[in-house]
Amino acid sequence: MIKLSGLRLGYDTGFRLEVDSFEICGGEVLAVIGPNGAGKTTLLNALALLNPPSSGSLELLGRDALAPENKMFLRREMSVVFSRPYLTNDTVEKNVALPLALRGRGDAAAVDEALELFKIRHLKSRSAKTLSQGEAHRAALARAFVTKPKLLLLDEPFASLDARVKDAICRDLRKVVKASNAAVFFVTQDQGDALTLCDTLAVLVNGRILQRGEPQELFARPACAEVADFVGVDTILPGKVASKEDNLCRVETGCCALEVVSACEPGDSVFVCVRPENVSVSIGAEENSMRNRFKGRVLSIEPRGLEYRLVLDCGFGLTAAVTKQSVEKLRLEPGRELYASFKATAAHLIKRML
Amino acid sequence: MGFIAEGFQKALQLIFSGNAELFAIARLSLAVSLLATAAAVLAGVPLGSWIAIKKFPLKKPLIALINTGMGLPPVVAGLVVMLFLSRSGPLGFLDWLYTPAGMILVQFIIALPIITALSVSAMQGVDPGFYRQVLTLGASDRQAMFICLRELRLAVLAAVIAGFGRLVAEVGAVMIVGGNIRHQTRMLTTATVMETQMGNFDTAIALGLILLTLSFAVNFGLTLLQQKKVPAR
Repeated sequence: MIKLSGLRLGYDTGFRLEVDSFEICGGEVLAVIGPNGAGKTTLLNALALLNPPSSGSLELLGRDALAPENKMFLRREMSVVFSRPYLTNDTVEKNVALPLALRGRGDAAAVDEALELFKIRHLKSRSAKTLSQGEAHRAALARAFVTKPKLLLLDEPFASLDARVKDAICRDLRKVVKASNAAVFFVTQDQGDALTLCDTLAVLVNGRILQRGEPQELFARPACAEVADFVGVDTILPGKVASKEDNLCRVETGCCALEVVSACEPGDSVFVCVRPENVSVSIGAEENSMRNRFKGRVLSIEPRGLEYRLVLDCGFGLTAAVTKQSVEKLRLEPGRELYASFKATAAHLIKRML
Repeated sequence: MGFIAEGFQKALQLIFSGNAELFAIARLSLAVSLLATAAAVLAGVPLGSWIAIKKFPLKKPLIALINTGMGLPPVVAGLVVMLFLSRSGPLGFLDWLYTPAGMILVQFIIALPIITALSVSAMQGVDPGFYRQVLTLGASDRQAMFICLRELRLAVLAAVIAGFGRLVAEVGAVMIVGGNIRHQTRMLTTATVMETQMGNFDTAIALGLILLTLSFAVNFGLTLLQQKKVPAR
């Protein structure tokens, strides 16, 4: 339903969006994550036919989306939800009915159905200006679904919501999206939101899609250091594969030797990636099955949501995720000595291009 | 000071006596200014919105030119329109000189830059994100502009009030183009000037009072419309 190739779009500021190709089928949700300024909204605006690319091809619903004669038809087959709900100074009902009115249709049943989908039927007579943020976002989503769009573009639609409201809306949206069979393009900075909604995940950095794939695979096996960094791999060590036995590579980093299961070959220059949640810490030197085990010292402890990030000096910097209970039980504090370990299968090697 | 009070007294007598000529002048004044304002709104609001939304070369100089037009001296506008409408002028075939149509034309020219400039300014205040959102709801450019204007109704009505206020009080241009002809093109403002020059202060005050009352009534109506949906703070 959405197919693009060789899309190029530049700004006077020097920023360039260069997307080689991707495709989104009906019923599929593609989430694009990336840091601020990566070009996520620029890409979404191009798909929404708001920002014409300087070159490349874009096909929506089998039509050439860059042909001016198709623009209005395609706009009326899609819905876009931005991070701000942008409601008009009318009642919720009139706001939700607006896309139908613009198409010269009046369909009270469709409006009621859309209000019901996002659980705001009781608000239909309320002025949009009196809604809470969560209610306003629900109204914007109901407005987006009232036309039963075949293409849905979401631009950080939950950016300004608190976690509880966001979770509730996200759950409802997932149900509606799955039932709609629309092709969904979803832009967000929040990896949690992306994982809740998407079937496929892409990482956009500096105007280029660096990796695209199933979310779990992308988080576990980032294709390059930039992706690894963005998807929360805190420990990224440069090294070289010294030897290999079966699939077990021995990687020399200059300050330590690590064992990692990988398809890389001896002599390959690599980055060793270790996710913080894959690192275990203990005070004693008890034996365990983990192949990588280091004695280290706590450099810092910082809260990160409900967890803590423990930065360890093991001769190299290693970051571990620990619970509050672990911090208290192990009496973790800067300077405390402990053991850190991770499995050979829990680390990932990225080939370095020299 | 006595003659002023006496003038007011006579003026009220004149108003309440139902003087037909006086009311005909008032009706003409109101009709000319309202029609000119309406025409300027119909042309100026879409034009201003279009200028605000679209990107094109020389946009900034054009906006500066329109802003300059807000201070257009009415007598200059009157002179130019008179020359155009005169028998040997390019619009002489219309035969509008010394007619209400000519006065509407010149008032339209005076109000157009005011309403256009205020519309440009109001439309430029619209969040670009809102405009983009409306487009993505399936709106054509015209529908999107209309929805934005509906959201900006306070500012648009302010432009209407400013335009009408300028026109209803205007004297120089309508004097030149209309000629202040009795029973034909005499307006409240031109008649006030004439009666003052003739020393008929009571009639001049009566005309002035009617002018103020009409102006207040129209502005009050527009203000009620404007403030109808302003939320209390």
